[in-house]
Amino acid sequence: MNSTHPGSLADRLQPLLLRVERPSRYLGGEWNSPDIPAESTSVVFAYPDVYEIGMSNLGLTILAEVVNDIEGASAERAYAPWLDMEAEMRREGIPLFSLETKRPVASADIFGISIPHELTFTNVLNLIDLAGLPLHASDRTSGPIVVGGGCGVTNPEPLAAFFDLFVLGEGEEVIGLLVEMVGRAKSQGWGRTRLLEEASRLRGVYRPDDYLPEYADDGTLKEMIPQSGAARKVTKNLVDLDDWLYPTHPLVPFCEAVHDRLNVELFRGCTRGCRFCQAGMTYRPVRERTAGEVVKLVDELAQSTGYDEVSLCSLSSTDYSRIVDVTSRVAQVCEHRRMIMSLPSLRMDAMSAELASRLDRGGRGGLTFAPEAGSQRLRLVINKPISEGDMVDAVMCAVRAGRRRIKLYFMIGLPTETDEDVAEISKLVFRLRDAVKAEKLTPPSFNVSVSTFVPKPHTPFQWCPQITGDEIRHRQDILKATLRARSMNLSWHDREMSTVEGLLARGDRRLGRMVENCWAAGGRFDSWSDHFDFERWMRAAADSGIDPGYYLYRQRRPDEVFPWDHLDFGVDKEFLQAELSRAMEATTTPDCRVAECSECGVCEGLSVQPVLKGSDS
Amino acid sequence: MCAADSPLRLRVQFTKQGQARYLSHSEYARTLMISARRAGLPLEYAGTNMSRMKVSLSPPLPIGVTSDCELVDFNLTSYVPAAEACDLLGKATPDGIAPAKCRLMGPEAKPVGKVIDTAVFTAAFPETVGGGELEDAVERFSEMSTLPYQRVQPRRTRTVDIRAGVHGLEVVGETEGRISLKMTVDDGIAGTIKPWEVVEVISGMAGIGREVWQQAEVNRTGLFSRRGDRLISPMDTGAGRSGAGRGARGVRY
Ligand code: SF4
Repeated sequence: MNSTHPGSLADRLQPLLLRVERPSRYLGGEWNSPDIPAESTSVVFAYPDVYEIGMSNLGLTILAEVVNDIEGASAERAYAPWLDMEAEMRREGIPLFSLETKRPVASADIFGISIPHELTFTNVLNLIDLAGLPLHASDRTSGPIVVGGGCGVTNPEPLAAFFDLFVLGEGEEVIGLLVEMVGRAKSQGWGRTRLLEEASRLRGVYRPDDYLPEYADDGTLKEMIPQSGAARKVTKNLVDLDDWLYPTHPLVPFCEAVHDRLNVELFRGCTRGCRFCQAGMTYRPVRERTAGEVVKLVDELAQSTGYDEVSLCSLSSTDYSRIVDVTSRVAQVCEHRRMIMSLPSLRMDAMSAELASRLDRGGRGGLTFAPEAGSQRLRLVINKPISEGDMVDAVMCAVRAGRRRIKLYFMIGLPTETDEDVAEISKLVFRLRDAVKAEKLTPPSFNVSVSTFVPKPHTPFQWCPQITGDEIRHRQDILKATLRARSMNLSWHDREMSTVEGLLARGDRRLGRMVENCWAAGGRFDSWSDHFDFERWMRAAADSGIDPGYYLYRQRRPDEVFPWDHLDFGVDKEFLQAELSRAMEATTTPDCRVAECSECGVCEGLSVQPVLKGSDS
Repeated sequence: MCAADSPLRLRVQFTKQGQARYLSHSEYARTLMISARRAGLPLEYAGTNMSRMKVSLSPPLPIGVTSDCELVDFNLTSYVPAAEACDLLGKATPDGIAPAKCRLMGPEAKPVGKVIDTAVFTAAFPETVGGGELEDAVERFSEMSTLPYQRVQPRRTRTVDIRAGVHGLEVVGETEGRISLKMTVDDGIAGTIKPWEVVEVISGMAGIGREVWQQAEVNRTGLFSRRGDRLISPMDTGAGRSGAGRGARGVRY
């Protein structure tokens, strides 16, 4: 354990390690761990969940490497300590520490917290508190600046009071600028206020203090009023993947991480236009990495990590314009290095199924597809128009390749959904099974996973109500009654977790008090079903004067101002509204990679273009 | 490296020190497998992925215990000189884990996990513990023919005869002002007595409090197979065609 850095808590941590579950979570020192210079502008990146989940986060891995490549800067990591470790740390008065040098996080210059989703909000607060920092940004006069980033900042408003800054969009470039600015602030003796003011002028940096919400009498948001000359909107950052060939030395944990493999991105963004999908709207436009760079990265990273599996990851990997070429070239690397390759998100058609089966010759596990909706009508509503013929082809192809398990993801509660649409999920799965039987083949087992649709900001469905807990139960009951066969397994998401997720997803700053109350009442690890406590959330809501129904079940007016409207992820609100109208008419919008531009506003607004590498090597 | 005409086994003695002592057995096994891949050894697999790598490991080491002797066999598909393998592994292992010795074993050699039945541990007590009290307890322990011990495990509690599983016990001289207990115990194919169990029992007999004996630093110094009263190291046996180590040398305990 590295205890050479001044202020290291290593010696005090040692006795704790023998008293907690999985001490390896707190060790650091994994393969490819960087050397941390004692004197540097220091960043600690924290993930609000346990180590083995946080270690699977590609974004943090990339950002840490980017910072460590900057002369005079260093990046370390911290993860949410598990409950036993938190209790030990609080008992011994040990604050949150970085894994690399075991120094207190509070001694860093920047404390960057990744916010992956809403159910980590209480853990986010816990990280700040465990670091020994005042929870509220307004109470912090010294210590690191607390910066949030990641998928959860598409609407960070419920956490606005706790953060100094948020970074919108992709952080590779802006983190360097921020680190450089903090270094300058230290050498020139800027005060905290000046630093935050200067930082808020960086592109994609949102300082919540710069915006003041004004509410109408009916409780809706009237306006987010920019303060002291702040811009009307803060626009996200995005990067060209070929300019940022990261990660180059990913850390390899001693324990198995949830995604225990090498991850290499093929592209960012997705313009398929699924109307429920927040990532599909907020990561636009599509920017592909050159096939040659992908192959080179895989080869280098295989050597530097020792992993036996590589995942070519993206929002919909088989949409990569040179997918057949890149996979066959990566397959050669894999053959040489005794690795397997996986494509994590497959389109549901024969080509994708065939490709996936060919790549994973060992047939590890089954194949996973996401039709999302049971009826063709509803698939048109959500703009995911996979035909039943394509689904049958995909399943047949998988079965012929020897797959014994097919996992299917569906959602209930989508806008316009009826009981018949729900029942169609079961009927569809039976029809897929019967299609296999008709070919005199043994049907695979079907694992059907059903989640509840949560309307998310920056999507066409941001105006729509979420279905109530009773309605979720009713629709789950339809599936339980109809999806009964020996080879079919049904699983579903906890309806109360979906309710809290929905409440926070479209929340405003008034929810900050509720999150704080829930955390203070012991809320931790809410995304772990055995630690999630719905009653605690509802008590926190009541104590904070929050009516969850107002946020969850209300159809928003078309002209309603949303708490995230001043955060510009590129897609125009008018486009989203038009997409909602098309959804109600069950009309689809094609993918701009293969059809005309549908004028979502991203390319014009951000002065960018889709980057497809179809003809590059 | 050249192709082997019959399977080869690379037997490696690793040390596990420093922060590596906090790795569980499965984490340690994974660490060795990734290290072997990073080292570029010609490893043999039973299937496609790492979990099917053909390896055999010595008995698990309790979390928190360090070791001078952790043994592992890697099956190889082609010949690599033992010294070269040792060098490659030394560059591929993380801090705290290092290869101490490597040797090639013939195909007829039994996997290391199937030959070990005995381990030697030392437990260094905090400076506050004197030798006299421990020596008396060790003498009384050695005179017993049986000693029931309640082993509490997550799913069940059972009684084991701890005396029958301890084959040697002595108080060894002071190092840096600390008295150590050296124990030779069942560990492996014939059952396991954990070093902490012996420390707990002896400390109880010596009137040393839990908060004191829990600070003892335990280290595994050797792994053996027992032949009568001789301890034979798997690093010295079963070399087969590859030559080294024929004629098992034994140490008496
Ligand atoms: S503006 Fe047009 S081309 Fe650009 S991402 Fe949107 S739909 Fe595609």
